[in-house]
Amino acid sequence: MEVHLVSESIKFMILGMGIVFIFLYILVLLMRLQAWIIARYFPERFSVSGERAASSVEEERARVAAIVAAVAEYRRSHGKRG
Amino acid sequence: MMYRLFLPLLLMLGTTLLWGGSNASAEGQGPGVAPITTEQKAEEHVPKPLTVLLKDFFRTTGIYALIHPEEGVKNGNGEAMSRFAQSWGRVIMFIVVFILFYLAIVKKFEPLLLLPIGFGGLLANIPVANMTGPEGFLGIIYNMGIANEFFPLLIFMGVGAMTDFGPLLSNPKTALLGAAAQFGIFGSLVGAAALSQYTGLVDFTLRQCASISIIGGADGPTSIFIASALSPELLGAIAVAAYSYMALVPVIQPPIMRALTTEEERRIVMPRLRKVAKREKLIFPLLIVMLSAMLLPESTPLIGAFAFGNFAKESGVVDRLSHEMQNSLINIVTIFLGLGVGSKLQADKFLVLDTMGILIIGLVAFAAGTAAGVLLAKLMNLFSKEPINPLIGAAGVSAVPMAARVANRVGAEARPGNVLLMHAMGPNVAGVIGSAVAAGVLLSIFN
Repeated sequence: MEVHLVSESIKFMILGMGIVFIFLYILVLLMRLQAWIIARYFPERFSVSGERAASSVEEERARVAAIVAAVAEYRRSHGKRG
Repeated sequence: MMYRLFLPLLLMLGTTLLWGGSNASAEGQGPGVAPITTEQKAEEHVPKPLTVLLKDFFRTTGIYALIHPEEGVKNGNGEAMSRFAQSWGRVIMFIVVFILFYLAIVKKFEPLLLLPIGFGGLLANIPVANMTGPEGFLGIIYNMGIANEFFPLLIFMGVGAMTDFGPLLSNPKTALLGAAAQFGIFGSLVGAAALSQYTGLVDFTLRQCASISIIGGADGPTSIFIASALSPELLGAIAVAAYSYMALVPVIQPPIMRALTTEEERRIVMPRLRKVAKREKLIFPLLIVMLSAMLLPESTPLIGAFAFGNFAKESGVVDRLSHEMQNSLINIVTIFLGLGVGSKLQADKFLVLDTMGILIIGLVAFAAGTAAGVLLAKLMNLFSKEPINPLIGAAGVSAVPMAARVANRVGAEARPGNVLLMHAMGPNVAGVIGSAVAAGVLLSIFN
């Protein structure tokens, strides 16, 4: 039997686009659900501690930068090479 | 004079005969094998004048094979090649691979893939050496990881380890744009079927139509995965088309994006993305694996490998593994993938009308995917509370991160300082998932 390529492929298109949309739509719902659950039951603690860690790292960096700058300035003014 | 020329030859012959003779006498008591080899050796060393030797050697050169094609010469896989494929076909393929080198080196079009593919194509068209056969260097690579769809999965693992789903998680509905862009795949599937049915130009089967249309997903590994599963005979042309068009995203997409949107729409500023908790990112790969396992197990090889890479990255405890996937592993596999795909650029396989058809359908597929993404984004903008710039819809074709950068650039042209990059990354990574799902659907139809 001669297969009608176009009508077959249109059926594939309907099936394919349908599944792709259903898949990603369910994914959207799940992403919203998990964001809601995490925000409500496992809230900020995680991200707050993360922020704190980040800021302390930044402070550390600033401190190191200040020390390095001071040492460099000291060496420069005392004519040493390091 | 002639005597002097022949002397070394005669000496060689003499020693060989003596050597053969002594061998035969040594193995004389064996079961009659030795005398036959002696005879063969004696036959091989018929005295030849130097001119004949030179002529015989000339017959084994590549030049001779190129200018004297013969009926019935077989390629590495034992299939007879036409005389055209043996001579001019090879010359044309050398020109084609030089074009690929030009695109990779001068134009910087996906050099990581076009360069190895081009070199594989160069080696595949060398006469006599037959490197593409099962015993040949390229044939071994091809059978090792492309014929069995293995390499694309390793690439997917690395891509997963490099992907940040933060932008998608912070604005989940943009995932739908990644779904719309898959219209490029299914729309061009219908187009390819119509072209085969109503014109005499090409004659593709449904399987072939399906594997060509996956070019519209703008995802190289997925294209190779599907092509080697559904129609390995078209693999070379499909992979070259997919990677070339991915490289051409900045050229193909902007005109379509401008044609389908108004200046006003392109100027839309999107609200800042919310901050995503680390736990959301950690759970996300598990979410997509479970979802594909439940809905579409055929897509779990691709999505599973992708999710594994991403999970390793987001877990934060196996940085060594995730680093390896993102670097050494993906680089090694890219070399093999490129050479293996290049091995399919043999003249007798590539220089056919089908290739032209594949290049055209692939381009249409790309354009259709871009258009569908932009149109859905326009529609969503009408109904959404927060404004959506339709340009980010074009990023729904995968091609990460090129498509997102293009959306960003076109947006910045309309309103300088408007940064759409992160907003476009959402549909962009959703497009990767979308094309893996589309691939799963096609596999489930045909298997």
